[in-house]
Amino acid sequence: MAGASETDAKLVESETTETDAVAGVAVGLSAVLFALAVTALFERVSLTGSLFGVGTVTLLGGLLTALGVAVIAFGAGSRLGYVETDPDPSAGLVAGFGAAVPWVLIGGSVASQTLGLGTGVGVVAGVAVGAVAFALTVLPREDVGSTLPLGALLVLTGLVFLTGVIDPAWAWELDWEQQAAITAEFLIPAATLFAALYGGWASAKAYGGFGARGRHMGAYVLVYLNALSIVAFLCILVAYVVVQGVPGLLTGVDVGLGTGPETTILGVSVALPVSVPFVMNGVALLNDFQGVLPAIVGTFWLVIGAVLLAVPLGVGAAVFLTEYAERGRFTQVVEVATNGLWSTPSIVFGLFGFAFLIPRFGNGKSLLSGMITLGFMLLPLVVITSREAMLSVPDEYRDASAALGVSKWQTIRSVVLPAALPGVVTGVILGVGRIAGETAPILLTMAGGTFLPGSQTVDVIGGFQFTATPPFVANPALLEATSALPYQLFALITAGVGLGSNVGDPDAFRWATALILLMVVLSFYAIGIATRYYFRRRLKHT
Amino acid sequence: MSENQNPQTQTSTATTDTDQPLTTTTGETDERTRDEWTDYEFRGEAKMTVDDLDVYYGDDHALKGVSMEIPERSVTALIGPSGCGKSTYLRCLNRMNDRIKSATIDGSVRFDGQEIYQDGVNLVELRKRVGMVFQSPNPFPKSIRENIAYGPKKHGDLDTGLLARLLNRSDAEERDRLVERCLRDAALWDEVSDRLDDNALGLSGGQQQRLCIARCLSVDPEIILMDEPASALDPIATAKIEDLIEDLAEEYTVVIVTHNMQQAARISDQTAVFLTGGELVEYGDTDQVFEDPHSERVEDYITGKFG
Repeated sequence: MAGASETDAKLVESETTETDAVAGVAVGLSAVLFALAVTALFERVSLTGSLFGVGTVTLLGGLLTALGVAVIAFGAGSRLGYVETDPDPSAGLVAGFGAAVPWVLIGGSVASQTLGLGTGVGVVAGVAVGAVAFALTVLPREDVGSTLPLGALLVLTGLVFLTGVIDPAWAWELDWEQQAAITAEFLIPAATLFAALYGGWASAKAYGGFGARGRHMGAYVLVYLNALSIVAFLCILVAYVVVQGVPGLLTGVDVGLGTGPETTILGVSVALPVSVPFVMNGVALLNDFQGVLPAIVGTFWLVIGAVLLAVPLGVGAAVFLTEYAERGRFTQVVEVATNGLWSTPSIVFGLFGFAFLIPRFGNGKSLLSGMITLGFMLLPLVVITSREAMLSVPDEYRDASAALGVSKWQTIRSVVLPAALPGVVTGVILGVGRIAGETAPILLTMAGGTFLPGSQTVDVIGGFQFTATPPFVANPALLEATSALPYQLFALITAGVGLGSNVGDPDAFRWATALILLMVVLSFYAIGIATRYYFRRRLKHT
Repeated sequence: MSENQNPQTQTSTATTDTDQPLTTTTGETDERTRDEWTDYEFRGEAKMTVDDLDVYYGDDHALKGVSMEIPERSVTALIGPSGCGKSTYLRCLNRMNDRIKSATIDGSVRFDGQEIYQDGVNLVELRKRVGMVFQSPNPFPKSIRENIAYGPKKHGDLDTGLLARLLNRSDAEERDRLVERCLRDAALWDEVSDRLDDNALGLSGGQQQRLCIARCLSVDPEIILMDEPASALDPIATAKIEDLIEDLAEEYTVVIVTHNMQQAARISDQTAVFLTGGELVEYGDTDQVFEDPHSERVEDYITGKFG
């Protein structure tokens, strides 16, 4: 407060100066470093290789040093009055702890490992160094406090990389029983990542001219980088699976008339013009190329069945709980029970299916048991999200409908449910993502052999049979054991059995299975999101 | 009309003694223990007759022995400070208070001579005939057309469903006539006639409120209850709503709750003043209530000394 009144804060900032530009470049530099660190962490950039003609580690070190020097220079320039800023008297406790943590680590590791002084001294040294960093952050004016300790950290990290103290071949044996080691492959990107975050934070504060505006900028950069990294991690994950999976998926692909398998469309038997054996074949001794068709179809029907079971039950329960039941002990119990069910481990659901459902449905693992088990798993989420969605439908709609003399049930059907549908669909999307990837319940309730021949692809629609005696409709296909993608993947990884000599590259086969699982889940997502978009549009724009 | 309220009044004033100095001085002897001037003589028929109406929310006595006759085809304004029970009173007239679980209602409300607080009352029919417009515009998130057709459709008066269309029995034309009539009556037709299929939430606040009035008209009500219908609107939209209310009074009986005394003075034929504690203090011709109120407390309230 006092600092703000001492230095007259200008209402209108002067035009962009060179110093602003320098601080801006520093912020950009930290963003670049952040991106480099993330890519290096996922081995998209090789540490031993080189970027732009410079060794990767050297480049990282150089950039870090430059960033650190810039940050320190900016703080010093501001303190000495060369740069026009508006700092507070102190950087604050949060910044102090933020700066202390990395220095505790550095001080401790250098004392105990590099200098070999032992654990006790290491702890003391770490705390001491951290305390110095804390004091240096909290005690001086903000412009120095929020730049000097962090800038020094960046320079130190950069110099360690530049001088080759830590080079790509470096590894720190922890001498633990499990033979763990921290390798440069992990340490360099991780250190760069955190250093870049700190550098970005400090330089964003500097860019904002410290003070309230500087803190706002610092927080903004941190939050922004955070959001970016979430997107980045997601993209990298998907990209990684795609890159690994595509070769296996494309094995034996053939395009041309009559190359694909025969399918019957509208009663006409046609040979598809494309042949992708991985998704069109099962596993058979005589196949040229093996595939996972039964597992794909199994996953598909599994999800459909679970959704068909859970959505009507769940939405119905939610309607009862929000619209009819009086809020009280009973609804609270139901709430606790649904939340508890949702956090119940899936293997417990699987065990329930195994012990309760299987003896009742033909005494063997079956698609139907799997569907019901996963439906029960999905149920609590559908109830929870549908309830939330219905509670968020404004009471004004219900009042308006009641004032027109419309009965409660009709109000629910034509006003409350349509308004709540996008929320319900969101819940189902989230739930489908979870159950489509469940392995344990499938393992216990549904999965037959690890590898199924294409002829065992479950045919639910064609499986319906009409009988003259009750129950009139039967579907043996539902009572057969089948496979699903997550289980298939699990079996491939843990057991690796049954591939035989027909799969040339088991690793590619696994990755391709993972890719297909990802694609199946993502396409369910896409369907869900499209549905939600449709209902939202209908609510907002008709 | 209201002399039979003595015992009730005495018990209630024992607990809420702050605004009722009169009871302590004259309560034992004078029959009219409360400062109450509700004998309003009007020409024509009473559309609604309320007798000794008490409403409790749990232990809270929200409305105390209100008796009042509402003449047909006129605008009746209910004014009073916040929390005086005027909205509660309004919601008793079409039994919307039934939807509040903690509310208990005691007393008699007769609509065209028929008691509405008795067993066997058809709430659907009652609410069709006693429509309601709320404080904040609350159109459904549907198209303008569907908003208006909603009530008649749900009552089975209009059928435009798939089956009806297949059987060539669709009431689409009838529906469109109804939509046009209601929108015209609500003075909204000219503004929206070219976008009846647009979502109602895209209209401005004032248009939404007139749409709500049109929606209320769609089920052919006899009485329209309005709960501060213009309080969320700007002056121009408010003026339109006020004009509309005056027009509606030629055909319907309008009861309107308002915070705005000028509004009550402008549009109403008779005014009822509720004061804190849920009592009806004065009810009479609007000009008389505003220019020469019998009750001192009402005069204080109207001239701004209280409330």
